[in-house]
Amino acid sequence: MESKNIFQERLVEARKKRGLSQDELANKTKLQASAISHFETGSRKPSFDNLKRLADALEITSDYLLGRTNDPSGIIENDPIYRDFENLTAKDRDTARDFMKTLVKRSKKKEGT
Amino acid sequence: MSNPFGKSNARHQSELLLRELGINSLPVCPFLIADKLDIEVKQLPSNNKGVSGMLLRYDSQFGILYATYLENPGFERFSISHEIGHYSLPGHPDIILVDGIHQSRAGFISYDKYEMEADYFAANLLMPTFLFETALDKAGVGLDAIEKLAAQCNTSLTATAIRYAQHAPEAVAIIISTNDLIDYCFMSDTLKEFRGLDWLRKGAPVPGYTFTHNFNKKASNVSDGVRKDGDTNLQHWFGGDHEIEMLEEIIGLGSYGKTLTVLSTSDLPTIEDLDEEEALMESWTPRFKR
Repeated sequence: MESKNIFQERLVEARKKRGLSQDELANKTKLQASAISHFETGSRKPSFDNLKRLADALEITSDYLLGRTNDPSGIIENDPIYRDFENLTAKDRDTARDFMKTLVKRSKKKEGT
Repeated sequence: MSNPFGKSNARHQSELLLRELGINSLPVCPFLIADKLDIEVKQLPSNNKGVSGMLLRYDSQFGILYATYLENPGFERFSISHEIGHYSLPGHPDIILVDGIHQSRAGFISYDKYEMEADYFAANLLMPTFLFETALDKAGVGLDAIEKLAAQCNTSLTATAIRYAQHAPEAVAIIISTNDLIDYCFMSDTLKEFRGLDWLRKGAPVPGYTFTHNFNKKASNVSDGVRKDGDTNLQHWFGGDHEIEMLEEIIGLGSYGKTLTVLSTSDLPTIEDLDEEEALMESWTPRFKR
């Protein structure tokens, strides 16, 4: 449950640091204000889509929100969501690696904009 | 903490996504949805049967890789929708917490719950109830109906058949089998409510005296996608006290290596009919000890 607490703490902390109310963050993320409140109290868990919207609006990374790095702009490489990787053939692994590079490029491009 | 897993949550989340994206007609295109969610989608090149799809993430950038080994576009669309489910469903980021820091969760026994929920999500995304039931009303009954719906939803026969059994108002069942064994069976609510029937369990033998039993003896029936039908009996498949005639329609599922059987009848008596019949039998049974 440690990570859940980190997510809650970091969400509240980042929202306050940006000077946003729950309603304002809800508007920026196009989520319901009640959803923000539920995330902060821990009564609802976020989806990846929720995390992405929150991270974008708060100008931090999803990895920071999830407690996977202590750097607000930090990104974790070799994410375990890369599940099933060991079941891939060598050819598919190459495709997966190249595909990851595309995602990294897209992420960097987005950072630059 | 409320984080309900399961069918209702998956249905709610998939319908929420469709509404948000303004999708309200069939077929639902998972490629389009992925694109709107800014998720890259790419095919896996090999014929490796180990993986049907993967969600990859680099912070807030997501990608889906999907397998094409079955050469079945419906299956591929389902795999992509399943991964969109992992992306959209609350609580699924927990999957990534299965790492060195969280050793205690390394053997997280509920992992299957995530997979099942993503499957429900995918079925609901591609065949949303609010669109599927309208299409079902016009499709008719049996294998023809399933084929029409599969064409309309651009989904695999198997996934459509399951959805069909879950929503059909008639007494129907769909059975997937491999050789002489049952993989799974879905019965419509009407059939489930009919008393005295046994459930066909995974791993149970395909009942003898059925067309499917004979059909599966010839491997080319399955690989060549042969289609057959004939009259069967409810008792042959599900036991019980009533010999009710059913139509048994069978189709080989090609490279999937399995057989789809669709059972349907419009002659299933209602509970009231059965009660009446039993009362009548009772009234005609001589009571020698009176």
